[in-house]
Amino acid sequence: MIAAMTTQVYAALVTIVVVYFILLGAIFLMRAAMVGTEDKYAAKGKVYKVRGFYFWGLCVVLTVGLFWTLRFLPYEEFQQKPGEIVTVVGMQWAWKMGIGSTDVKPKDFTGANQITLPVDTPITFQVTSEDVNHNFSIYNDRGVLLAQTQAMPGYRNDLQYRFREKGDYPILCLEYCGAPHTIMTGKIHVE
Amino acid sequence: MSNKTREPMKPLDAEEFRKQRRLMVTWGVTLLVLFPLLIGLGLFMRLNQGELVHLQPNTFYAIMTLHGLGMAGLLFSFALGGLHFLVGTRFARTSVKVGYFVFIGVVVGVIGLVVATLIGGFAAGWYLLYPLPFKGTSWPEWSSGLTFISLLILGVVWLVGCVHIVRALSLEYGGFFQLMGWRYLGNKEPEEELPPIALISVVSLVPGILAFLAGAVFLIMFLFQLFEPSLEFNPLMMKNILFFFGHTLVNITIYCAVGWVYTLFPEFTGRAWKLTKVTVIAWNATFLFILFAYFHHLYMDFAQPISIQYAGQLASYMSAVPATAVTIFGVIAQLYHSKIKWGVIPLSFFLGAVGWAIGGIAAVVDSTIAVNKVLHNTLWVPAHFHTYMLMGVVLFILGFLYYLTAPQSGKEGGPKAGWAFWTFVTGSYGFLLMFYLGGMNSIPRRFAEYSTMGISSSHEIGALLARLAVFFVVLVLLGIITMGISIFIRLMRWVVTDATSTESSA
Repeated sequence: MIAAMTTQVYAALVTIVVVYFILLGAIFLMRAAMVGTEDKYAAKGKVYKVRGFYFWGLCVVLTVGLFWTLRFLPYEEFQQKPGEIVTVVGMQWAWKMGIGSTDVKPKDFTGANQITLPVDTPITFQVTSEDVNHNFSIYNDRGVLLAQTQAMPGYRNDLQYRFREKGDYPILCLEYCGAPHTIMTGKIHVE
Repeated sequence: MSNKTREPMKPLDAEEFRKQRRLMVTWGVTLLVLFPLLIGLGLFMRLNQGELVHLQPNTFYAIMTLHGLGMAGLLFSFALGGLHFLVGTRFARTSVKVGYFVFIGVVVGVIGLVVATLIGGFAAGWYLLYPLPFKGTSWPEWSSGLTFISLLILGVVWLVGCVHIVRALSLEYGGFFQLMGWRYLGNKEPEEELPPIALISVVSLVPGILAFLAGAVFLIMFLFQLFEPSLEFNPLMMKNILFFFGHTLVNITIYCAVGWVYTLFPEFTGRAWKLTKVTVIAWNATFLFILFAYFHHLYMDFAQPISIQYAGQLASYMSAVPATAVTIFGVIAQLYHSKIKWGVIPLSFFLGAVGWAIGGIAAVVDSTIAVNKVLHNTLWVPAHFHTYMLMGVVLFILGFLYYLTAPQSGKEGGPKAGWAFWTFVTGSYGFLLMFYLGGMNSIPRRFAEYSTMGISSSHEIGALLARLAVFFVVLVLLGIITMGISIFIRLMRWVVTDATSTESSA
């Protein structure tokens, strides 16, 4: 169950827990602000004492958070040797995909908006665009966003993903690229 | 407490104050009229996504463009206008003429944007990501040109407005390093105090000045390209310039508003809120974080050097330290056992700080690269910045407008928060929750409709959340229009009351 939890769920859980404490703290403070039994220096002293703990606690949390999360970056330096390479070119308003790397100019590249790829293989998508900025995004059929990278004209972004399950994976464009933006879809069949 | 209290600025005479007040009221009325209209545009977007109305895609994106540009521009313009008034009536003389120059420039810019989007159909999104405005467009060239010129006008008048306030403060309190509070960094206490609003204004407005210069550069490049279509600029460089401009503009809006919270909140708690070495260090750090935080917009551009990606996460994480450990704890220290009366003014400021903190945690989560790779460009992004703006900046603005026009303030806390206020707050959090749930469910942002996604569950969830959001936006509108009418009447009363000294502003 835990292993099946997506990054989105972890992110939401962290947010919910912190927001819960913020709201709890806010309610406590609103009540505590309505009484005035201490002089202001004593009250401030108490708050600043808590602040000292908070400051060091926050520094520890942020440092641990940095070191922990910076191990899961999507960039080339963190990628494995690819088992398969796929060229992806975004254009207004379709995706062109084809097996293998290419030296052909994006405009001249011919590919299809559907492709079949092997399961459990590290696949590197070499993504670019022939016109404006797009965003190559891989979803699963349950609507969970799995991976993405920008498709920028003049640049190649290498995105790596390993499909763990067989099935169909919809491709969407997540960078607004003109009025028909939402119809810029594709599909990856994994078998 | 060996600090000498600095000689305050020579108070304005009644006529000078009346002029500043008229300018402030002009800003207030402009905000009260435009803000609900711009919410109305957002309502149309959610209605379309909820499949309750059907807009043509280009109409949807033209509305989206105007909503984004309009809200970012209006809220920053008002924050700048608020600082102009507060600084000008209490801390350092600001020119009413310059204030009107900024106001008229903003009005001209806004009219240009309205014409370009609603009549011309310009729909490149609020950040005009290069080279989108020039390729595959469904709108005429003139509307692109009008948008660039209107934004250039806005950028120039904001630049003038920022430079003017910084200059006024520096004439009163010394140069850049004096205004950055460096006198507090030594072992001895400074001989002269610096009001927090002076430091916060400079920390917000100097990055603003740099951002507007950058904005002017890219808009001039856009105009060149419009007249000479064969030109080509580097898209990654353009994206960096663009987000330095756009992110900074939105980011400093809340800091400008925090400036007046530092100034006005103590009147309700009876506790001075002075600068110390810790607050000065914190705000100096914030200055740097404002400049570098925009890097987090480019995490999904893998071609950006990885060191910049690391710096983006570091700057975004670290910005949480001064914001919470100093400002949020500053608010706590102001309030704890202060015997405050929770009138609408301190309540707005306090809930604004809470909204800032909630938007902040959502931002820190999304600024984590490992998380951003599955949240970027989903509804989580508008969720976090709408939290900042709606439950942060707008609450600070409401508190400020009530403060200006409340017959009594100080320990009384101003008028009681009525049903309109609570309807607004409830509606806002409900509306935001729909965005957060959308982000958590990978619903993309900037999608006019969800039926084309080819994923039935996303289509159903996206449309359902949009329909629920419509209900909450109606509550937001109900609350804000009711409060707006009440504040408008107060502004009209305030503008004709006797003004014998600066104190009349309270």
